[in-house]
Amino acid sequence: MAGSGRDERAWVRRAQAGSASDFEALFRAHWGPAYRAAYLVVRDAAAAEDIAQEAFIAAVRALDRFDRRRPFGPWLHRIVVNRAIDWARARSLRPEGEAVDAAAPERPEHDDELLRELGRLSPEHRAVIVLRYLLDYTPGEIAELLELPRGTVNSRLRRGLDALKERLE
Amino acid sequence: MRFVAPQEHEAEERAWAVVSAAYAEREPVAWPRRHWQPLVAAAVVAAVVAAALSQPGRSVVHSFRKAVGIETAEPVLFSLPTRGELLVNSRSGLWLVRPDGSKRRLGRYRDATFSPHGLFVAATRANQLVALDPKAHVRWELARPAPRFPAWTGTRMDTRIAYLSRGRLRIVAGDGTGDRLVGPAALIPPTWLPGRKLVYFDGHRWMVYNVTSGSARRTTPPREAATIRRRAGQSEVVTGGRVVFRGTGIFDSVALSPDGRWLLVSWPTANQWVFIRPQPRKIVGVSRITQQFGRDARVEDWCCAAP
Repeated sequence: MAGSGRDERAWVRRAQAGSASDFEALFRAHWGPAYRAAYLVVRDAAAAEDIAQEAFIAAVRALDRFDRRRPFGPWLHRIVVNRAIDWARARSLRPEGEAVDAAAPERPEHDDELLRELGRLSPEHRAVIVLRYLLDYTPGEIAELLELPRGTVNSRLRRGLDALKERLE
Repeated sequence: MRFVAPQEHEAEERAWAVVSAAYAEREPVAWPRRHWQPLVAAAVVAAVVAAALSQPGRSVVHSFRKAVGIETAEPVLFSLPTRGELLVNSRSGLWLVRPDGSKRRLGRYRDATFSPHGLFVAATRANQLVALDPKAHVRWELARPAPRFPAWTGTRMDTRIAYLSRGRLRIVAGDGTGDRLVGPAALIPPTWLPGRKLVYFDGHRWMVYNVTSGSARRTTPPREAATIRRRAGQSEVVTGGRVVFRGTGIFDSVALSPDGRWLLVSWPTANQWVFIRPQPRKIVGVSRITQQFGRDARVEDWCCAAP
């Protein structure tokens, strides 16, 4: 669970000053959403782990330059989702069988169908749906994160949801 | 959407080991120059000295240990990032670790090494050299005083084990027969070279012994694939003349994978192991080593996967 905006700014400030425990608080608060978002876009646990891990390492490298007046989450999620889209696109260009993780059967059954159908959308459609409904960003925020026109975000959301609805009915 | 991704928590711990290592490696931007900086520096020095000498010193150590991940990490699903098996020795005993992370305790031994194809293990205890199978069954044992540092080489049909015993280098066949003395040797692990040659230190000089001819001559020290360098409170792993990993505190050993692509660094300060692939760069961390293997865990050998 991410902390409040005030908590987060304090964690960032103290992590910049060298506090490993505050950096860990930041990591713990954001790992889950980042990993889940990556997983839902790439549908591969190992790749999701690499993507989320690399995003945090990028965060470590950029920590001293980070403007702590800005929220940390959107900045991290931008890296995660863009890398996940790139990975999924590259994967679709060199298909190696369906990208289904070995641990997928451990998911709760009621998620299976929805997740399977989500995985059949294009990476771009998956990404906006994950950002909107998993990470609760508004369409305007998604547009800013992915550097897309807001109309494009809305149309991807609508088409993605329509496709899901059609396949699930 | 309520959703937990597969392996989320295991991935979190693995990632935390790597990300915290990256954070520990990071060099913070220099603080702005201020006229009060000397006073702060003096206060820090005074605090460190006071901490080292007093009861609150423990809390500094505690904070440091916490900062590098000892008390905050959760148990992790341990797996090797590449082919091969590990022999890990600790105060709790000798462990055989499979690539999937499963492990078996082989017993209490002082040193150990794999056979050339990873099918058996040679180990030493008080006054015995022992050959074990992976189920910890003793295949043969040889009584010798204070045996140390077994090194096993050879082909499937012809293997031999070099070891030290009370200041002497000895060689025995892989089936425990034909034990013989080579000569005086200092307590430094001998190293096999291709062509049935053995490099050892006789107490004065490095020597290479040719098993086929039975002759020995002077040589240069064996080159190590990776070394550990310590400086200013940090440790560095150096390979090919280049630093590939740096961290706060002490690294106590580095092992090379059978394919030569990975290094495994033991980092007791952080209670972690760090697997490093220099090219293309990748780092995989494993936390809570003490909890998994016991105190003073070190990698004895990293060998080929058994066929």
